[in-house]
Amino acid sequence: MIQVRDLTKNYGPRRAINKLNFSIAKGDVVGFLGPNGAGKSTTMKIITGFMAPSHGTASVAGFDVFENPLEVKKRIGYLPETPPVYGDMYVRDYLRYVAALKKVPKEKIEAAVNAAIEKTNLGEVQKRLIHHLSKGFKQRVGIAQAIVSDPEVLILDEPTVGLDPKQVAEIRDLIKTLKGQHTIILSTHILPEVEATCEKVIIINKGEIVAEDSIHNLSTMEKGQRRLHVRLRKDVEDMSTVLSPIQEITAVTSGASRKEWNIDLTGGEEIVENISSLLVTKGFGLLELTPSKRDLEDVFLKLTYGQTQNGGEA
Amino acid sequence: MSGTLTIFKKELKGFYLNPTFWVICFLVSVIFSWVYPIQLNLFAQLLLNYVMQQGVPTNQLNIHYGVFLRELSYLNLLLIFVVPALTMKLFAEEKKLRTFDLLLTSPVTSLEIVLGKYLAALGAVLGIVILALLYPLATSTLATINWPPLFIAFFGIFLVGAVYAAMNLFASSLSENSIAAYIISVIFNLSIWFIGIGAEVVDSEKGRKFFEHVSLSSHLSTLVEGTLRTNGLIFFLSVIVLFCFLAERVVESSRWR
Repeated sequence: MIQVRDLTKNYGPRRAINKLNFSIAKGDVVGFLGPNGAGKSTTMKIITGFMAPSHGTASVAGFDVFENPLEVKKRIGYLPETPPVYGDMYVRDYLRYVAALKKVPKEKIEAAVNAAIEKTNLGEVQKRLIHHLSKGFKQRVGIAQAIVSDPEVLILDEPTVGLDPKQVAEIRDLIKTLKGQHTIILSTHILPEVEATCEKVIIINKGEIVAEDSIHNLSTMEKGQRRLHVRLRKDVEDMSTVLSPIQEITAVTSGASRKEWNIDLTGGEEIVENISSLLVTKGFGLLELTPSKRDLEDVFLKLTYGQTQNGGEA
Repeated sequence: MSGTLTIFKKELKGFYLNPTFWVICFLVSVIFSWVYPIQLNLFAQLLLNYVMQQGVPTNQLNIHYGVFLRELSYLNLLLIFVVPALTMKLFAEEKKLRTFDLLLTSPVTSLEIVLGKYLAALGAVLGIVILALLYPLATSTLATINWPPLFIAFFGIFLVGAVYAAMNLFASSLSENSIAAYIISVIFNLSIWFIGIGAEVVDSEKGRKFFEHVSLSSHLSTLVEGTLRTNGLIFFLSVIVLFCFLAERVVESSRWR
């Protein structure tokens, strides 16, 4: 559905994205993940035909974004970071206007507007001025304008930024209901959002793709690695020396206090058993021992910030 | 061109359903309601006394010159400041509110965007010109009026308004700030009247002719006297096309910048 080849964009001397290559199949829900300023929005703007790249190509549904921008734009619904809504228009009129702008045939406009209002739950505010709506509603109007033309591809740039937790949950549910009807690209720097909604993740940092895989593969990326979370009754000053007899331990980090520790190790369950018996015999008062998978957050931090540390910059 | 129509309708509604437009109309009509009857009264007194007076230019005894053209010159003065107020938001505000993203990611060309907005601006200018035309229309109950020159004169001032609208649309596309767009627009509108001054300072015959030809006032003066001349129409049209083209380039440039 979406093909991106060697996409590069320079803002003057600064290179925002550097030779991005990825492709997205029809019906996929892809999370586009990266710290602020990584080039997420730039990539999305290029795919939507909003701006041109310095090098490389992007195509949507077989149409090149630059040779056939109008065909591409007909197939895309785009929600920018700030919802592009006119404060002085009524919600319903605004959606009608967007539908006409997106070349929805005249006789289908009313039906399309009704469908968008229903999906985004805007029924009760449809006759109000957008100016008077709360931020969450404005965001929903933004999503409604993106889906009003029933596009094949939906591009959402940080759709939940600045919303309260309830609104965030609502928007996520909304995105889930849109699954299957559209190919969705969702850009965000909020990890639970990706975990909650997406099947595939593209992690981008400093303008380059650092990982591209399904969420499941990414979370279990380093096989055989485990992390144990232990909670004790007594303070332990230096856990790594305590655990030094066990060779398989790779790292020990302290948690919220000296009573909580995270232990990374390689190997099977017998190592876990060894650790628990060691802690018990030492008499630290083992209260809790939970094995935890490396989650997406760790992968993300490692891939983005971890790299800068290795590079000696941070 | 359906994109043009969609944008045109939306922007025209935006003008006519917006209180700002009606406040402007109200203020314009306040000024005319003050000035126009005074002009009319002066003209009536002149007619009563002209036998006694020596050296009154004969054209001043015609209501077209004595009253309507004065009204037109006030209207022109008002348009210089009013048209920028109408057009300043057309692009500047879209950029500021980020709604410009919607236009640029919709299947419409830059030309359609500019044309839609320009035509809507013309619609608003037309509203103000028609408002000014109401005064001569009301006068027709008191005096006999030669209609064709009157309409051509108002058409002329509408064309000047159209030139302002094109220049100001371009000015609006340059800035994200409505106030900056307004100031640039007013400077444009004023400066186009000063170009003609060049005719008085150049020595060469060719240069003088050139300046006379690009001077807005010389073309307007034939129109307001009721003469339609193709070179005048072509001049107005070319200025309009030039600035619409420039605005289209600016809009298009945001796609590759």
